[in-house]
Amino acid sequence: MIATYNWLKEYVDFDLSPQDLADLLTMLGLEVEGMTSLGGGMDDVVVALIEERNQHPNADRLSLCRVNNGREVLEIVCGATNMKAGDRVALAQIGAVLPGDFKIKRSKIRGVESFGMLCSEKELGLAEESEGIMILPPDLQLGSPVFEALGLKDTIFEIGLTPNRADCLSVIGIAREIAAKLGKRVNYPKVAVGEGNQPITEIASVTIEDPHGCPRYAARYISGCKIGSSPEWLVSRLKAVGVRSINNVVDVTNYVMMEFGHPLHAFDYHFLQGGKIVVRKAGEGELFKTLDGQERLLKGTDLTIRDGERAVALAGVMGGQNSEISDATTDVLLESACFEPMTIRRTARRLGLHSESSHRFERGADIGTVPKALDRAAALIAELSGGVMARGSIDVYPGKKKPKQIPVRLARVNQILGTNLTAEAIRDIFHNLEFVLDPGEAGEFLVSVPSFRVDIEREIDLIEEVARLNGFENIPVTMPRARTFSDRPTRSQLLAQSLKQLLVANGLSEVITYSFIAPALYDRIGLASDDPRRAVVNLLNPLSDDQSVMRTSLLPGLLETASRNIGYRILDQRIFEMGRVFLKDGSEELPAEPTYIAGILTGARELEGWNQGKDCVDFYDMKGVVENILASLNIAKLSYESRDLDSFYHPGKACSVCSGSDIIGSLGEIHPDVQEAFGIEQRVYYFELNFDKLLHLCRDIATITPPSRFPDTFRDTAMLLDDEVPAAAVLGAIKGLKIGEIEDAAIFDLYKGASIPAGKKSLAVRVRYRSLERTLTDDEVNRLHQRVVDTLTSKYSAEIR
Amino acid sequence: MKEKLEAMKAQALAELATVGTEKEVQDLRVKYLGKKGELTGLMKGMGSLSPEERPLIGQLVNSVKDTLEEKVEAALAAMRDSDKQERLRIERLDISLPGRRKAIGTLHPLTIVIQEISEIFSSLGFQTAEGPEIELDYYNFEALNLPKDHPARDMQDTFYVSENVLLRTHTSPVQIRTMLKHAPPVRIIAPGKVYRRDSDVTHSPMFHQIEGLMVDKNINFGDLKGILTIFINQYFGSGTSVRFRPSFFPFTEPSAEVDIACVICKGKGCRVCKNTGWLEILGSGMVDPEVFRHVKYDSESVTGFAFGMGIERIAMLKYGINDLRLFYENDLRFLSQF
Repeated sequence: MIATYNWLKEYVDFDLSPQDLADLLTMLGLEVEGMTSLGGGMDDVVVALIEERNQHPNADRLSLCRVNNGREVLEIVCGATNMKAGDRVALAQIGAVLPGDFKIKRSKIRGVESFGMLCSEKELGLAEESEGIMILPPDLQLGSPVFEALGLKDTIFEIGLTPNRADCLSVIGIAREIAAKLGKRVNYPKVAVGEGNQPITEIASVTIEDPHGCPRYAARYISGCKIGSSPEWLVSRLKAVGVRSINNVVDVTNYVMMEFGHPLHAFDYHFLQGGKIVVRKAGEGELFKTLDGQERLLKGTDLTIRDGERAVALAGVMGGQNSEISDATTDVLLESACFEPMTIRRTARRLGLHSESSHRFERGADIGTVPKALDRAAALIAELSGGVMARGSIDVYPGKKKPKQIPVRLARVNQILGTNLTAEAIRDIFHNLEFVLDPGEAGEFLVSVPSFRVDIEREIDLIEEVARLNGFENIPVTMPRARTFSDRPTRSQLLAQSLKQLLVANGLSEVITYSFIAPALYDRIGLASDDPRRAVVNLLNPLSDDQSVMRTSLLPGLLETASRNIGYRILDQRIFEMGRVFLKDGSEELPAEPTYIAGILTGARELEGWNQGKDCVDFYDMKGVVENILASLNIAKLSYESRDLDSFYHPGKACSVCSGSDIIGSLGEIHPDVQEAFGIEQRVYYFELNFDKLLHLCRDIATITPPSRFPDTFRDTAMLLDDEVPAAAVLGAIKGLKIGEIEDAAIFDLYKGASIPAGKKSLAVRVRYRSLERTLTDDEVNRLHQRVVDTLTSKYSAEIR
Repeated sequence: MKEKLEAMKAQALAELATVGTEKEVQDLRVKYLGKKGELTGLMKGMGSLSPEERPLIGQLVNSVKDTLEEKVEAALAAMRDSDKQERLRIERLDISLPGRRKAIGTLHPLTIVIQEISEIFSSLGFQTAEGPEIELDYYNFEALNLPKDHPARDMQDTFYVSENVLLRTHTSPVQIRTMLKHAPPVRIIAPGKVYRRDSDVTHSPMFHQIEGLMVDKNINFGDLKGILTIFINQYFGSGTSVRFRPSFFPFTEPSAEVDIACVICKGKGCRVCKNTGWLEILGSGMVDPEVFRHVKYDSESVTGFAFGMGIERIAMLKYGINDLRLFYENDLRFLSQF
């Protein structure tokens, strides 16, 4: 909503600077989002008189004028031709700054010095286009600033209105707020309706067939109008609030709409068959051409204004071309009506036709303003177009209701706000808002809310008015006297934080990618056509195909991120993401949203540097990260298995992460096809873990084992094994012996090569022995280790080397 | 015997004075003091001594042995010390060369901001709650007093999955889900992703919010101001000016936008605050009775307040980020700075 300082001042007497007024409005909830000063800082553009106009001595197309600014006579070079001696003009003096930061300096033009510039309307920001310089009215005082002399000095406020404040979609509505805050009354415009003799009932009739859609319809008739351009005051005022002038009749309807907030419509009476107005729903499939020349296909739910035969307006949204005001119009039927918000909203939305009118009716127009706006506009049309009003008006009002009366309890006001307001203070606030009070039961008021406040229906709405007008800044700052709570973060929050920290410590950086992705990405990661992750949740109205389906895996987003960063020449990457994926859940209305934690390693293992290794990361780097995570969670029955591998992995370099029989994640090298599909030319390693499962499986450490006070002894054994025997099986077999003195067993070497027969590998195990009670003797350790060696030999045909 | 001992001692000391390496000293020690050394050899002649001479010579042997041991040790110590000094003299590094570092990652700035804000509210007794990102229209709109066809729905352009299912446009549905599950009192915050159908320099179709809700007996607007003022002072620094300004949200009444003095210009007016001196960072208000009706709370016996803020906006202010898209491009040159 746009309003200007001067216009507001017509309705309420205030003594505030534009900035103070802006602050007052903002603190009332009418946020001033922008202020533009008209003619501000342009005091150096003054009224001046051309005393002589002569030819420039060195240029055919230029004039040299002697101009009097009331104090001195200056020589000015001018390129325009529309001025003559004796004209009053706008002189931008040396030092003036015109719109567009155009500074006026002393300058030499074709060898002659010019002490300023004569301005056009365009140069002063008063018109989009103008021809020649601006010739001012002859009565203006020489030397006075032009904007002041013309009464154009003003401030335009752009106000960001919240959708509840339909009443403030008008200059009067905003003035009413200012008045309420300052404790003043609004000076509503006085309307003198000069009527002719012919009663309107002989000329026109109004029938409302849909009183729900149209609870009130009023009309006046003005004959003998001469359509023409509007006077300057009307044009400039409309321009200030962003409305283009059309003609004197349409401009009046727009002016009154901005003034009262009530949309009006003017029909050319001659195109209304039988002088009839009928308010009725459109026929299904009816075609109707709106004012903007568009043919609209109507539905049976659209409300129309019709004459004896056809639709002439789309009620509350836009008029029809068939009855619009034209230069040939002489007789006008003026509509002021009220339409039901939802009806208007549905039609405007469906047709994508949002007008100043529909904007107001959608939010709720004031049914009480219908006759006031009608009379105001009819009187102005008659005045500006020289027309004559018919006697009386039509006012069909089937939706008439008693004004709302709402009880408000004083104690409740203070309870909600935390204030100590007295009954008098509250009464004054309501009074200033033009609300009428009746005494209710003890400790309460009965508040009659004026019809323009369509947003106020309940006690809480009235309490908000008290808070607003009293000022939020006057509500004391307190702390809740509330019951105390446990303030420990939730388990899930703690685990999420610690896992993220752990990944960061492992060198991975967190990324956040969009939850919606391109459906084609599921092909690029090579998911089988029957993979459950293909059953995606689709958006009905995506912004683009690239963001049209919800992700079922974090992999595509991470691969895209890796690929993008490789494009930035960052070849060594360690990244992770934690976020939800969206999986259709049988017949449930909402999908399942498990949280996953996933990451990518690619490029060099170590940071680049003069003393750093140059190797690239491999499967075991990725596995190490996963092992670190899982070690921190103390998950039971953890194993890494080659079963149920996703097809996006290299089949020989990937595994599932299991707890018992449950797969909780996976890791491995990305399949070269997938890698290529993302334009990546280096090996990429990926892991993903289901965070919800981790949360469920992770256990606090129950008890610890005290460290032994006795020395350890270890035995190393290297053996030849079949290549297929997994290292984990060897360690498992050792563990399976359940020898209490074995503290730890680990693989410390793996070798395949020239000296090893094909199909075999050499594996070296270090077994560490230690007792909690005493120092073990060599003999004891040898006996224990022999059992280990025997087991491996018999179980896996290990050849001890 | 005595003379032999003295001569051997003198010989040994003379040799010791000429040796240059630790090994030579050790060899010398073996030569004279070893099991098969000269001293041992001389002691073999002790048997032929008279009983009177024997103790005297024995004493002399011990004294020679001790003297030689001492001198050898001293020579060794001196040699080791000079080796050490030499090592210290020649070992020199270019300490300006970079150290051997392991890669350390970074948290996403939005995660950092969410954690910081959560910690403050956690210390004020707010528990973290969660809800689905794909949400029912009912929880996202209806129960929050945003019926179908309500003009306020225009404030939030929505991604739909079906007629009744959508991507949540705010974290407010978590309020509804929490209140439906728990009787009052309630004191939660709900951080999470939200989605709106809008994309340009200042709008991302996916962004993050933190919602807060406190419901109990006798919670009032002054308490809302109190809690949010504490939060702002803790997060933006004590003494940060705060302004509560009337606004409208369908699910709160009275509703307030919360502004802080512009962190860039300290309230003087700049491009970031559009010359107002204020930055809008929070929406808040007293929970609307209509919301309580939907969750079957008695609005006569309990009251409460709710608030919500955009994480990206706060992160942008905190780190001086001027392009929202940086958060989602995941350029590692950007992320590595946190």
